[in-house]
Amino acid sequence: MNLITLIVIVVACLLGVGLYGLLITRNLIKIVIVLQLLVKAVVLAFVAAGKVSGHPGIGESVAATVIVADTVVAAVALALAVQVRMRLGTLDIPKISSLRG
Amino acid sequence: MNVSMFALLIGIPLVSSPVVYLFGRLTSRAEVLNRQGWIVRALALLAVTATWWPFVNLWLEFQAGGKRLFTNVESIWIQLDGLTFLLAAMVLTLGTLAILFSGRYMAGEIGEEKYYAMLLAMIGLMIGLGCANDLFNLWVWFEAMAVSSYLLVAFYREQPGSLEAGMKYVVQSAVGSVLALLGVALVLAQTGTLDMDQIQLMVGTMKLNHLGLLAAGALFFIGFGVKVAMVPLHTWLPDAHSQAPSGISAMLSGVVIEAGLVAMLRALSTLTGFALSWGWLLLGFGALNMLYGNLLALQQVQVKRMLAFSSLSHIGYILMGLGIALVSGQAAGAQGASFHLFTHMLMKGLAFLAVGAAMYALFHEQGIHRPLVAHDLNGISTRYPWVALSLSIALLALGGLPPLAGFMSKWQIFVAGFQSGNGWLMGFVVFAALNSVLSLAYYAPLVNRMYRCVSATSVKKGSAAISWTLQLPLLLLALAVVVLGLFPSLMNWLTEPAGAALMSIFK
Repeated sequence: MNLITLIVIVVACLLGVGLYGLLITRNLIKIVIVLQLLVKAVVLAFVAAGKVSGHPGIGESVAATVIVADTVVAAVALALAVQVRMRLGTLDIPKISSLRG
Repeated sequence: MNVSMFALLIGIPLVSSPVVYLFGRLTSRAEVLNRQGWIVRALALLAVTATWWPFVNLWLEFQAGGKRLFTNVESIWIQLDGLTFLLAAMVLTLGTLAILFSGRYMAGEIGEEKYYAMLLAMIGLMIGLGCANDLFNLWVWFEAMAVSSYLLVAFYREQPGSLEAGMKYVVQSAVGSVLALLGVALVLAQTGTLDMDQIQLMVGTMKLNHLGLLAAGALFFIGFGVKVAMVPLHTWLPDAHSQAPSGISAMLSGVVIEAGLVAMLRALSTLTGFALSWGWLLLGFGALNMLYGNLLALQQVQVKRMLAFSSLSHIGYILMGLGIALVSGQAAGAQGASFHLFTHMLMKGLAFLAVGAAMYALFHEQGIHRPLVAHDLNGISTRYPWVALSLSIALLALGGLPPLAGFMSKWQIFVAGFQSGNGWLMGFVVFAALNSVLSLAYYAPLVNRMYRCVSATSVKKGSAAISWTLQLPLLLLALAVVVLGLFPSLMNWLTEPAGAALMSIFK
C-alpha cells in the first residue's frame, strides 16, 4: 500500500467519524470538536490532492490557509457556546431548542 | 487595467470596518454608544456610499470594453463580469439602505459599533466573492462572508432565540462549507490547478475521471446549497432570518443567500460538460423550494418567519430560471433569473425593513423585545400609513400581482420556459404559476389586516410617529418596486450582461 492510498483511507475514516458524530452528538462543545475533525479530514485531502496532481505547493499552501479560516469559525462557534451556557445554563441541544416550524 | 478602482471597490468597505469599530470604542467607554454615536453611524453610511464611486467607474470601463475585466495581486487573479456587477449592485443598494435604516433602528443597542463593523465587512466580502476567479479564493470569500453573518444573526446575545438561531446557522453552514471544500480538493486532485478558466480548459480537453468530477459537482451542490437554502438544506434559514435584527434580515434574505447562489454557480461552471445535469437538478430543487416554502409560510403566525419561508419559495423561482437557461441553452432564462434576483432583493428588503419599522414603533420604543405576529398588524394603516403602504406594496409584489416588479420578473422566467418549446419545462412553468397563486393566500390576508381590521391594542399603544430615517429607505424601495413593475426594461443594463455572463461561464 502506497502513501496516497493510506492518506485517502485516513481521510475517509475522519469524514465518516465526523459525519456520524454530527448525527449523534448533543453537546455544543462536542459539536465544535466534531466539526474540527471534518475540517482536518479536508486539510489532509488537500495535501494528498496536491501530491497526486503533481503540484504539492498548491495543496500545502491551501491546507495552511484552511487551518486559519477554520480556526476563526471554531472561535466564533465556541464564543456562541459560551454565551449559550451563560444565558441558558446548559449546553445540551434538545434543552435549548425553542424555535419551531 | 485599473487596479486602484478594483482595490477601492473591495477595499473601502473592508478597511472602513475596523475603523468604524475602533472609532466607536475610542469615543465611548460604555457598552452603549454615547452622544457621539452619530459619528459612527455617519461614518458607516459614508463608507458604503463612497463604494458606489469605484462601482460606477468600473461599470463605465466594462461598458466601453464589453469584456470581462481582470486584475491580479501577485499570482491571484480576480475578475469582473456581468454576474459580479449584478451581485455588487444588489449588495450596495440594499447595504446603503439597510445602514441608513439601522441608524435609528439600532440606536442605543449594546455593541452598536460592532454591528456596523460586521455589516460593512459583510458588504465588502460579498463584492469580493463575486470577483473571485479561483476556486479556493472563492471559498475563502464565502467562508469569511459566512463568519460575519454568523455574528450578525446572533447579535442580540441576551435573547435565547437569537443565540439558538446563531448556533444552528454556524453548525449547518460550517458543515456545508467543509463539504464544498472537499469538492475543491477533488477538483485539484484531478486537474492540478485552482484557476477556474484553466480548470474549464482541462476538463474540456483532457480525458478526466468522469465520476470524480461528478462527485465534486455533487459536493458543490450540497455544500453551497446550505447557504442557498435549497430544501432540505434550509432548516437554519427561518430561525436566522426571524431572529436577526431587521436590517440584517433584509440583507440575509436579499443578498446573502444570493451570494451563496453565485458561489455555487461559479463552482459548478468549472465542470463543463455536465451543464444539462445541473440544469435538471436546479429545476427539481426549484420546484421543491417553491412548494415547501409556500406550504410552510401558510402556517406561520410570526410575520418575519413567514417572510423567511417566502424567501425559500422565491429562491425556487430563481433556481427554476437558471435551470431553464441551462437545459434550453438560451440566455432568456438566465436573464429572467438575474432580474428576479434583483427584484427579490428590492421586495424582500422592503418587506423586512417595513416589518422592522413597525416593530420599532410598536415594541422597541416601549422597550419590549418580542416577535411581531400577524395580529399586531391589525389596523396599522390608521396610525402609520406609510409603513402600511410600503409593506402592502412589498407583499403584493412578492405575491406577483401586476403591475409590480415581482410580477415582471416572474413573467420573464415563465416566458423563457415557454419559448424553449420543451414540454417538461412548460410543466415546470405551470407549476410555478400555480405556486404563485398559492402564495397570495398568505400575503393577501396581511394586507387585509392592515387596512380593514380594527386596530390591535399593541398598535394603539405604539409610539406617536416614526422618524423619517426609518421611513425614507422604505419609500425609496417601494418606489423602485412600482417603477420597475411599470418599466421592467429599466434594469436591462444590469440583467442582460449578467444573463450573458451566466451563459458564457456554462459554455
